[in-house]
Amino acid sequence: MVTFINNAPFIIVFIAVFMARATVEEVDSTLPLTNTNIVSAAQTKFGALQGVTLREMFSEAVDKATIHAGIPKKDIQAAFIGSFIPEMLVHQGHTAPLLLDFAGLKGLPATRHEDACASGATALRAAIMAIESGFYDTVLVAGVEKMTSVSTNKATEALAAAADDQFESSIGLTFPGVFGIAAVAHMQKYGTTEEDMALVSVKAHKNAATNPLAQFQKEITLEKAMTPRYVAWPLKLFDCSPISDGAAALVLTSNEKAKQYTDLPVKIIGTGQASASMNLCDRSDLTSFSASVDASRQAYKMAGLEPKDMDFAVVHDCFTIAEIIASEDIGFFKPGEGAKAVRDGITALDGDKPINPMGGLKAVGHPVGATGVKQAVVVYRELIGDAGPNQVANNDTAIMHNFGGTGATCVVNIMRRADI
Amino acid sequence: MSEKPTIDAYLKNIEEGHFRAYKCVDCGMIIAPPSGSCYGCGSSNMTWAEVSGKGKLVSFTVIHVAPDQFAEEAPYYVAIVELAEGTRVSARLLGFDPMKPEEVKLGISLQLDYEKGKSGATYLAFRPA
Repeated sequence: MVTFINNAPFIIVFIAVFMARATVEEVDSTLPLTNTNIVSAAQTKFGALQGVTLREMFSEAVDKATIHAGIPKKDIQAAFIGSFIPEMLVHQGHTAPLLLDFAGLKGLPATRHEDACASGATALRAAIMAIESGFYDTVLVAGVEKMTSVSTNKATEALAAAADDQFESSIGLTFPGVFGIAAVAHMQKYGTTEEDMALVSVKAHKNAATNPLAQFQKEITLEKAMTPRYVAWPLKLFDCSPISDGAAALVLTSNEKAKQYTDLPVKIIGTGQASASMNLCDRSDLTSFSASVDASRQAYKMAGLEPKDMDFAVVHDCFTIAEIIASEDIGFFKPGEGAKAVRDGITALDGDKPINPMGGLKAVGHPVGATGVKQAVVVYRELIGDAGPNQVANNDTAIMHNFGGTGATCVVNIMRRADI
Repeated sequence: MSEKPTIDAYLKNIEEGHFRAYKCVDCGMIIAPPSGSCYGCGSSNMTWAEVSGKGKLVSFTVIHVAPDQFAEEAPYYVAIVELAEGTRVSARLLGFDPMKPEEVKLGISLQLDYEKGKSGATYLAFRPA
């Protein structure tokens, strides 16, 4: 078929039309991942980091993931950087070379990846491809966002750029509103309640209470989480992740080089990425995010594993309902049973399927471009047994789920300790 | 009706209180908001379509914390509405008290309307039929 494509342009047109109509499943990559290892992972504290600029946060995360982890910066061959919208937040474009220069990595190929809140994980995915292809042996993946140097209104306006400006933002739909609409649909179809969502927030704060890098290191009661300060009904203040600053970094390397740096690398054994319509109104099902389902299917297929093989998950809980839906979309629970899992404590730190064991976006913070990389940092630390009081009991294999904006981009990675 | 539809014209139509959808010339699918290619057959050959203005409520939210340009209008409803012609649009929902969202039932019949916002823009809107 490839030969035909090369020889007959008209067939390309036919194939293109056919592909547009084919289900995404038919075009999934089934290439096995065999050579990608995470050998170090670090993040800055997340929160309102007053007096710390974008490049300083970036540099701190990079130093922690390289020289403080015994990895010389001279070993890094290229950098993949996730950052959402520094143009609006700190009036700075072309950030990749600027950040690298400040962090002592001047001269390396450096590219910024932008897919809204999934920017970090799309940078990670590009790095995975670079290692798997053999193009590089050792690369840096980092994510960063500085959000608190502008007013909350300005930050909200910047975030809104990740929704469709012409058809949805223009009638006053906000990000919390997008997830409010999903919540109403989920409540109607499955009986999920505002209290179920509040319990996700209570869990996030409980886990973050023992995470010194979290923005909110404080437990909250269910009553407090239910405080009726509506942002976008039925979502209340405590259903929403905060505006945050922060950075995170990883070093990825090949099997051969990994041994130089650690006895316990973490392998990335499956990766998936999918997109969906930006507009909520163009989606046939509002109780599930198709990009999450598609990316998960790809990642599981590539890893040759199933949801039951996952010990825990780190998912994109930008809003509490997003965690409930993600827990269903990644296959941990059947559609409609995510809320029950929260109520039954199954997703708690000591539950059978812990989700966001260090506190998630809700309580740790959500510096947009850093989040996807930070999620990989959390998975890495849990898998190597370095999560302190937030250590999950079973920690061989895990899944991370990072999605962007209205759910129009999703990246899912499956990671496993190399000794398994 | 025969000119090739554009996003500018689509938005202007709403501004002027005459909402029209896109229609795929090749398979007849009705599409709104605009798409460059048909969700049904992949064709990019589009024309305009008048719609009945009838729809049903799929889901909604009430925006309490709004961006600056909409702040004076909050709280307000934003809904997903499925038109009788099959496509879904995002629109303002009128005719309900924004402080009593629990009284709004999904699936109810709606009728096309427009809302002139305090921002000066006209929004696509629906109210109970």
